[in-house]
Amino acid sequence: MLADTVTVDGCVRAVDDTFTTIFAQIDEWRARIEFLVSAHHAIVEAPQLDELVEALVLSELERPDALIIGAGFVAAPRFLTDTDWHLAWWLGHANTFGMDSVDPAVRRLRATEDPSSENFRDYTTLEWWRVPASTGRRHITGPYVDYLCTDDYTLTLTIPVMHGRAMIGVAGADLYVNDIERTLLPLVGALGTTATIINTSGRVVVSTDAHRPTGSVLRVEGLSERLASTSGVVELTDGRVAAVCGTTSLILVLG
Amino acid sequence: MSCAAHKCYGRVTSQEKRIVPQSIRPSTTARAAVFAPLAGGGRAELVQQRLTDAIELGLLTDGERLPSETEMAKKFGVATVTAREALEALRSRGLVETKRGRDGGSFVTSHGSRDTGIHERVRGLSRVELRDMAVYYAAIAGSSAELAADRTTPDDVDHLERVIAAIDGSSEAATRRGEGTFRLEVAALSQSARLVREELRLQAEFAPLLWLCLREPEYRLRSRAAHHSVVAAIATMDGERARTVTREHIGESIEWLLDAKTDLDAKGPNYAR
Repeated sequence: MLADTVTVDGCVRAVDDTFTTIFAQIDEWRARIEFLVSAHHAIVEAPQLDELVEALVLSELERPDALIIGAGFVAAPRFLTDTDWHLAWWLGHANTFGMDSVDPAVRRLRATEDPSSENFRDYTTLEWWRVPASTGRRHITGPYVDYLCTDDYTLTLTIPVMHGRAMIGVAGADLYVNDIERTLLPLVGALGTTATIINTSGRVVVSTDAHRPTGSVLRVEGLSERLASTSGVVELTDGRVAAVCGTTSLILVLG
Repeated sequence: MSCAAHKCYGRVTSQEKRIVPQSIRPSTTARAAVFAPLAGGGRAELVQQRLTDAIELGLLTDGERLPSETEMAKKFGVATVTAREALEALRSRGLVETKRGRDGGSFVTSHGSRDTGIHERVRGLSRVELRDMAVYYAAIAGSSAELAADRTTPDDVDHLERVIAAIDGSSEAATRRGEGTFRLEVAALSQSARLVREELRLQAEFAPLLWLCLREPEYRLRSRAAHHSVVAAIATMDGERARTVTREHIGESIEWLLDAKTDLDAKGPNYAR
């Protein structure tokens, strides 16, 4: 089963590249935000930040073939001087959330930032915030049905934004799982065997196997332990092969 | 990205400030359904119905400012004149009042005839219609629970338990909102965007009737017990049980409603509790 590892390596690299490209974009936004914050000695107000983030994400969201359907920066509580909670987030034209139009304009997400409001939601408890905050590293959340901001099956990519050693927020982007399937399926399909990409919880992102629907959980005994101890391709006890897709934390399972 | 809700209309009466924000506002998700776009004819009536239900359910609370006519029209996907028409109807029923000026707008009022409205709706629907609504809703909610059991990770189970724990069973309004939140979270775990959207749509249409039984403390306890059973079934990946418990819970509620309807029908049109 290990015969075709070159192709497996190629597939893993291609999957990694797909996300690395998007992460590179988010990382550039991160750098620009950190620069602004440093230049102002971490004394920043929401409007300053909004102006920068809007300028950064708009061109990406406006591209007709954009994979990204939502993007922006979410501030750490009490980091900004004029507001405790803040989201600078824009929705792309492919994101039909809350709209009756099939191709709405790029627009800002209207979020409730007042903790005393019924609509307020503490975003620091959500996975796309929680994981980067605890690991200090980039993270892919999902696939999950996001009924609050996209109304669809979504992946959220986030990168911690730092000032010194403190996380002052996350920069991130939303992707539709539909679009990701179109990108990834040809890559795993080319392996010529049953291939499935899962996230760290074992949730299927895409699979060539009709018995493994996206969103179902592939329960492989001891998979995470096995992958934690080695990088690259590992053979599982049941003869299947698994590999971590580079820096993405996604896992490719063959068989 | 799942984040703070998209609506931004403020409230006039300032609530007690919470120093520590709650992780999940139980009402957030159910409220998201209130302003979801409408499909079908008789749109002014539909707008009116949905807002009336939301006020009766306590999703929109006393003194709360509604979005402007233009904003509301956009959210519901109707013409501004349609939104205006619906607001006028609500004003004439005393559910909403409109103030002019800089801090003006339309506000929910407490002195409307809430129970009468929902009672009239129960009387206006036949037993067949009510039962059929429950059958359809049980099909959607039951399938969601069944799928969730197959597709749930231990983190998801923890999350559902926190959602149940956050429901204040002593309050009728909080339990209703919690019912909506819990069902929406279960639907989300099915990983089906369509089931989630259908759940939201059915909640907006049907929840005020179906969960009328939650005015009785005993039914609030039963509801909590049913939630715990569903989560236990999901945690053990027992999809069949998750579906059965969900279906039975909905069945029990519709039977309460049909009994209530018998009483209401007997008491005549102007009865209010």
